Amino acid sequence: MSIQALNITKKFGHFTALDNVTLEIPSGELVALLGPSGSGKTTLLRIIAGLEFADSGNVRFNGKDISDRTARERQVGFVFQHYALFRHMSVFENIAFGLRVRPRKHRPTDAKIRAKVQELLELIQLEKLAQRFPSQLSGGQRQRVALARALAVEPSVLLLDEPFGALDAKVRQELRRWLRQLHDEIHITSVFVTHDQEEALELANRVVVMSEGKIEQIGTPDEVYNRPATPFVYKFLGNVNLFHGRVDDGKTYIHQSETEHVVYVRPHLLDIDRKANGGDHFRAKIKHINSAGPLVKVEAITEWGALIHVEMSQDRYRNLCLLKDESVFVIPRDVKVFQVHEGSRQKPA
Amino acid sequence: MAGTIAQSTRSRTGNSSATNRATLESAPVRWTLIGIAALFLGLFLFMPLAVVFISAFSKGISAYFASFREPDALAAIRLTLLAAGIAVPLNLLFGIAAAWAVAKFEFVGKSFLITLIDLPFSVSPVVSGLIYVLLFGLQGLFGKWLQAHDIKIIFAVPGIVLATVFVTFPFVARELIPLIQAQGSDEEEAALTLGASGWQTFLRVTLPNVKWGLLYGVIICNARAMGEFGAVSVVSGHIRGMTNTMPLHIEILYNEYQFVPAFAVASLLAMLALLTLVVKSIVEWKAQQDVVEEDKSWSMEPA
Repeated sequence: MSIQALNITKKFGHFTALDNVTLEIPSGELVALLGPSGSGKTTLLRIIAGLEFADSGNVRFNGKDISDRTARERQVGFVFQHYALFRHMSVFENIAFGLRVRPRKHRPTDAKIRAKVQELLELIQLEKLAQRFPSQLSGGQRQRVALARALAVEPSVLLLDEPFGALDAKVRQELRRWLRQLHDEIHITSVFVTHDQEEALELANRVVVMSEGKIEQIGTPDEVYNRPATPFVYKFLGNVNLFHGRVDDGKTYIHQSETEHVVYVRPHLLDIDRKANGGDHFRAKIKHINSAGPLVKVEAITEWGALIHVEMSQDRYRNLCLLKDESVFVIPRDVKVFQVHEGSRQKPA
Repeated sequence: MAGTIAQSTRSRTGNSSATNRATLESAPVRWTLIGIAALFLGLFLFMPLAVVFISAFSKGISAYFASFREPDALAAIRLTLLAAGIAVPLNLLFGIAAAWAVAKFEFVGKSFLITLIDLPFSVSPVVSGLIYVLLFGLQGLFGKWLQAHDIKIIFAVPGIVLATVFVTFPFVARELIPLIQAQGSDEEEAALTLGASGWQTFLRVTLPNVKWGLLYGVIICNARAMGEFGAVSVVSGHIRGMTNTMPLHIEILYNEYQFVPAFAVASLLAMLALLTLVVKSIVEWKAQQDVVEEDKSWSMEPA
């Protein structure tokens, strides 16, 4: 089922959570709403679910306006950030809940409910824990139960609010892969909210980057990462070094006194060398080196006194034999230039 | 992080007496404080309780049980049970409805409603009794009309029930409001998205989650309903065998120097209080168990 949210505005008192937001999600996609806290992503998700109602604008499922329907009538599967499992019910009863509360004439027989729950327990690989209570499960297990409970009512849309937010890194990785697989199997239109750019880029077909109640960019992970539409998107999707600069004849000049343009460079797109090599470069002094991890992270102070971050491979680091407090040349390989107060332009350095 | 939490709870429960050397007071200070607390408890709580039972049994067991064979005593017990039997279910229903409204919804006049719920706590019971006399008494607002229709409220059973309901009004609501608020509405929202109606959500999700708090509220409400003296005394009229509740009956017996029967009936109320304490402890222990279960799950999370 496709989802359309058209011209949605929502205010809480004086705070504008969503400012005329329009979003269309084609059927069968796995979409991430990505943004910092307070960007309105959860509010948008809750409005789609019918747990919150927009001040203006409307929500359509398969082109049909459902703005006035309650959460109960919309029949979406919703997975809450803190799982919201029914704490006094066993895992089995949690999953069966959606089927048991159906009006009598639509309610499946007990045997059918049992079979359905069993099938879902197999899907989430928790058959053995059916009689446990939520408090007896780990975070990752709870999350899977929450997902099974949402899927039990066979929703046409699956909405997940920070589904992995409360889990530790390893479990999060595992569940991410599992959710991806699940989506490949059942092709249910899914929207999940996250503030973790890595999660959004890894999991989603399409990423919606939000900030301060507005959508900054909609695109595939590759598009938003490699062709960011706004400075915000560039900054939010990875570490950046920020410079001020000026653009002349298609050439970017970095200079701290310029205010017309901002120049962004990702840490891994800065090279460090001992020779100037005749190319574009500036000088910097190494302040700190962290060589633990796949990439070596170097902090340096530029000749005009700004702190920059550089990332290089372990091989490169070993070849250079960098030392603390050493003076080096920094060569930007690729930069991203945004005009201050205007749209974006990409220029080679 | 999960690992450290699990560890800290273990050390907290494991050897609590040996820990925190640094914050320990010196022995004389400790024993003085403990002594004062014990003395206070003994003087004001245990001694009166002991006196009640010693006086009740001062003339032997047969005299004790004879006190309950008095028709007036039986009538007082019956009336107390009746008043509590009406007041507790009424305030249970009211308490759930009020707590639900206050904890789940934002509306104009909410703080006024909370103040109203607390009113019986802040008003002297005698005053609340007088309010009913002023409303339904012979000289009262509805007095003429009630007399014309031959309905007796003051100095009759309905007045006693009304006064009891008023005085025990806040107990269930007060117990439930913070509980429902603390639990948030995540589970209810989950139930709604799964297709449950409001009523189904309430019965299957909200109510089971607050059952211990609810039970506790009911127990406290019941204890107060049976023990209420002031408000009931004003509206009762002290008609023996008719409008005397247990506390009123005790007062009359005591004033007539019938100490054994007075303390015998008093011992019934005291036992009710003790029972309340026991049930309260069980309920709190049960609720605590749920919390501990919740904690345990932390340590099961792979670190």
